Amino acid sequence: MSVLRWAVLLATAVAVAPSLLAQERDVRAELAARGAPPEFVNVVAERIAAARAARMPAGPLLDKALEGWAKHVPAQRVALALEQLRARLETGRGVVVAAGMLEPTDAVVAGAAEALARGLTPEEVRELVSRAPGPEAAGAGLMVAASLHAQGLEHAASVRAVVEAYGTDLDPARLYELPSVVAGLAGQGMRMSDLARRIMQGGGLPLPPMAGGVGQSNARPGAVPIGPGANQGVGKEKRRQ
Amino acid sequence: MADGRTTWSAGAHRYAEGAGGPPEDAAERARVDRFGAAVQAYGRGLPSLGDELDGRVMAAVRARPRPLPATWWRRLAEPRPVSIRPALAAAAAVTLILASSALTALLTRAPAGSAPAAATPPDGTTGSILVRFEVRATGAQRVALAGSFNDWSDSSIVFARGSAPDQWTVTVALTPGRYQYLFVVDGNAWIPDPLAHAQVEDEFGQMNSLLVVGPRGVVRS
Amino acid sequence: MNSASTVPGLTGGGAAGAAPVPAPGGGGKGGRTTEDDGTIVRRVLRGDVEAFGVLVRRYREAFGRYAVASCGDADLAADAMQEACIRAYDALATCRQPDRFGAWFFRILRNQCHNQRSRHRTHVPLEKVTAAAPGRADSRLEREDLRHRVERALNHLSPEQREAFVLRHVDGRGYSEMAALLGEREDRLRMRVHRARESVRRELEELDG
Repeated sequence: MSVLRWAVLLATAVAVAPSLLAQERDVRAELAARGAPPEFVNVVAERIAAARAARMPAGPLLDKALEGWAKHVPAQRVALALEQLRARLETGRGVVVAAGMLEPTDAVVAGAAEALARGLTPEEVRELVSRAPGPEAAGAGLMVAASLHAQGLEHAASVRAVVEAYGTDLDPARLYELPSVVAGLAGQGMRMSDLARRIMQGGGLPLPPMAGGVGQSNARPGAVPIGPGANQGVGKEKRRQ
Repeated sequence: MADGRTTWSAGAHRYAEGAGGPPEDAAERARVDRFGAAVQAYGRGLPSLGDELDGRVMAAVRARPRPLPATWWRRLAEPRPVSIRPALAAAAAVTLILASSALTALLTRAPAGSAPAAATPPDGTTGSILVRFEVRATGAQRVALAGSFNDWSDSSIVFARGSAPDQWTVTVALTPGRYQYLFVVDGNAWIPDPLAHAQVEDEFGQMNSLLVVGPRGVVRS
Repeated sequence: MNSASTVPGLTGGGAAGAAPVPAPGGGGKGGRTTEDDGTIVRRVLRGDVEAFGVLVRRYREAFGRYAVASCGDADLAADAMQEACIRAYDALATCRQPDRFGAWFFRILRNQCHNQRSRHRTHVPLEKVTAAAPGRADSRLEREDLRHRVERALNHLSPEQREAFVLRHVDGRGYSEMAALLGEREDRLRMRVHRARESVRRELEELDG
């Protein structure tokens, strides 16, 4: 990176709102609460602070750091993963901006990074963003296309399936049903290549209508185990970024 | 009487849009007017953003560098290529192979033809979907679920023994979205879920299981 | 001013209605000016930082209600508005059509509202709502109950539906204006508003019993 680019980014970081400092302390507190040693905490906190200063979403980075700590991955390996993830977020952001979403949401940037990581091309990411009815749909669409490709559907068909679903103007949360549809069809014996051909020929993926008409609620994310014998601890509320 | 399932006529919708006169049916007109009154009450009750916000914004703006010419901005926004060190990737692949072979004895696939995971309607309070996970882990003393939905904790979601030998199950409330996770057996063996939608790389040289939860639940092949 | 329906209560819920885009503002002191957006943007880019304050005020007034209704909380809306203003300032040189600054800024604000909602996923009622015109205590409680019921119904919409409903029925904007702001076709917006209206009215009628 050029000296001038660093200078501009540094000036931006210095002018950052005070709330960002509070958020960095939250990262340290969370990791320390999990027993992470100071070396690990510093390595992670520095990289997350740098990402925030560059206006990259910090959520995916913190998630990856917590995963690395839980899996006992060495600090430097986690640091490398965070740097690679941050680079993908920057790349993803660039592709999304080129698609016309000048100030993308965190979810869209994260979705673009994930889609590129899973093998979708920048052109395909641009299509998923530009054809989405809104930012919420774009974020979900990117994640779903990446998931469909991970399931074995070729990426052109993955993109096409999501774009066709956009066109039905449904609640963006229903995009998350597409991988289940694919899994169900695969369970009935349909080959991925045949499914891809059907999608590219305009067949689309069938999404059964929802009962009633009330749309998706703004439910609180997080996981809560239930049932006999399940751990009595309530799943954590998703941390605020 | 409105039972929640009556439908407005097209004329009622046009009236609501201001594109037509009131419906002839007095009861329907009353329903539309009540709706309008509710929306109006909502709109009038919205707090406004006071002009003190202008001062805060301008204080922040004055402290920032001047807006750069467009050419400078484009350079800053350019994507940078990512390189992965080949030696590290190779080492990670070897680790994955060794780990997989050591752990296969612990796991058997769920019986073929098992029913898809319950696509349970959202629970009434939060809009979450109840998703059931199950695994057969021979000889295990404890099985936990760790993933992106619980910050990868291996202690907050613990399986219970099922009815069949070596079967473990847990049901978790998840909001629609995309999740990566693994099963943690006896605190030290992190193993994938063969019933997941897919297996994806975890950036650390191993694989995570991937599940995408829709508002109607999950179907797994 | 409000270009929507004359049917009372169904659009433009507040006395002020929706400020049109772009809002020319009035003359006078305190940063008000009759200059158009393009002129102000060009002044800012030439170094007149204080001129940006005119745009800040103009679009806080034009889009503040949208932000509050979109975020469901006045504090989150203020944060979204502040962040959007700062980002717009930083990226001002990339606004390719300064005369259409309003629509460009709206998209930045819209995304910040989405970010705020994503980060704070709780059903926060508008508890800081001030009392409306003085009246009997029970009628005030009735109005608050109505507001909360509408808020709850809006919480059950998808973000796109909520946004379309708010712009049309709360902010009182016409479909051509909405199409310009959101970059979408009018027919799709009409359908989205229709579905949102169906969902909200059904929920309100169920509560009526």
